[in-house]
Amino acid sequence: MNKYLHVTKMTLMLGFVYRMHFFFTAVGNALYIMLIYFLWKAIYKNAEGTIHGMTFQQVFLYLACAASIFLLFRSYLEWMMSEDVISGRIIMNLLKPVDYQSMMLFSTSGFTIFNLITVTIPTFIVLGILLRNTFNFGINILFFLVAVFMAFLLSFIIDYIMGSFSFYTESIWGISIAKEAIVLFLSGALIPIRFFPGNMQVIMSCLPFQAIYNIPLSILTDSRLMVTDYISAIGLQCFWLVVLLFISRIFFKHALKMVTVNGG
Amino acid sequence: MKTIFFYVRIYCMIVAQYIKARLNYRTDFIISFFGMLFRDLTGLFALWIIFKSIPQLEGWTYYELVFLYSFSLLSLTPLQLFFDNVWELRYHVIEGTFIKYYFKPLNMMFYFMSEVFDIKGLSQLLFAIIGLIYASMHLDISWTASNIVLFIALFLSSSLIMISLMIIGAATAFWIFNPFAILEFIFNLRDFSRYPLSIFNSFFKYLFTFIIPLGFIAYYPMLVFLRPGTTPNIIYICPAVGAGLFVLACLFWTKGVGSYSGTGS
Repeated sequence: MNKYLHVTKMTLMLGFVYRMHFFFTAVGNALYIMLIYFLWKAIYKNAEGTIHGMTFQQVFLYLACAASIFLLFRSYLEWMMSEDVISGRIIMNLLKPVDYQSMMLFSTSGFTIFNLITVTIPTFIVLGILLRNTFNFGINILFFLVAVFMAFLLSFIIDYIMGSFSFYTESIWGISIAKEAIVLFLSGALIPIRFFPGNMQVIMSCLPFQAIYNIPLSILTDSRLMVTDYISAIGLQCFWLVVLLFISRIFFKHALKMVTVNGG
Repeated sequence: MKTIFFYVRIYCMIVAQYIKARLNYRTDFIISFFGMLFRDLTGLFALWIIFKSIPQLEGWTYYELVFLYSFSLLSLTPLQLFFDNVWELRYHVIEGTFIKYYFKPLNMMFYFMSEVFDIKGLSQLLFAIIGLIYASMHLDISWTASNIVLFIALFLSSSLIMISLMIIGAATAFWIFNPFAILEFIFNLRDFSRYPLSIFNSFFKYLFTFIIPLGFIAYYPMLVFLRPGTTPNIIYICPAVGAGLFVLACLFWTKGVGSYSGTGS
């Protein structure tokens, strides 16, 4: 276990070194939340209180938290894997007596922990103070933390699957962009799921993406949910975790064959 | 003194070679093409979903916002197609390979930028044009010859804004080590250009008009077409903002190029 935690510590330290990256990420996050604020304020301007059962404060809190969580999970994992494959360093990494996927997990954890401490927690504290009436303070906070942790794992696995594509193509850019757009859109992170037409909501609930954003965010902000809802939501996340993990292992093994066949 | 024709000819030759080389990576191109399309489509769908719940946004209708969104994408296309190498400048500076640009009898920025022609940007161009056509079919815009000329002129000047901002961001690489965060930050500012400035409060309106002129990427130029007669002077200010910012960017670049001392002998 120690060797994995060492990797985490390394990437965590890296975060402290790249202070400029942190500064601009934090400012970018703040600016984006401002955009959400003004855009949805304008959307709600002519509405009488609620749209699709959500007030402006609820939507703003939901989307601002979504933006912060997106930042938290963003690890450029598929780019790191693409680098590994193109440079050939992947061979060295695969020869090591550690599981590649686990090593990537602990590596990205370092970045995530850094983002958590420096950007996410301050953002949530500020949002919590400004919107304390909209926040749901109670046992749901605990479930929220569990759901966020599960969401992190899900996001990691999806990135890992995307990163595995780098065995097939030279540039991971198109896949990364498409993944980001699709995940954010279909998870309710850009626009809350309740705004979508009925049949789209059905499709979205069958996909794993809403388990990354909608589930933890709903636990945090939706006052209509109860403990049974929280438990079944986290159960759904577990289901997707098992399914996606299975897919990622199979896909990676298959992708690996591609490299060995080409004599890479 | 090299003429503009010389540069155009050289550019075509350099880009032709580059495209020939990229043709080997056909899968990459197809994937990137569709990746970009997905991203742009998502923006459009987001607008569509929002307008299923509200009739208008600060006095703007759905088709007007689609028009605005498409024009902002169009304005960003020249940056994507011709200036995509800005993202690589930091690597050349760090590794010392940037020194090679000093030795050719060509303008350095031209030489550097001409090395990459981002073919996948054509998907954004296609999407923007289709979006504009789709939106203007439902809007009351008279596409007279003079209006088309005006449109092209406004497009050229607004495309210079993001190009200039990105050049400035990339040029910080001459002083700051690997300014990826700066480039990414500036690039993400384009999110602000696809919504009408009227949604913001006066502080941000001032900020995005006079300090970081994001409003001139799409909003102000499009007022000419979407709200004709209300702001006639914008037509004269837009080109000035674009050109002025580009001059600033070139000066900043030149300063950076002058101060670069390579990575040792």
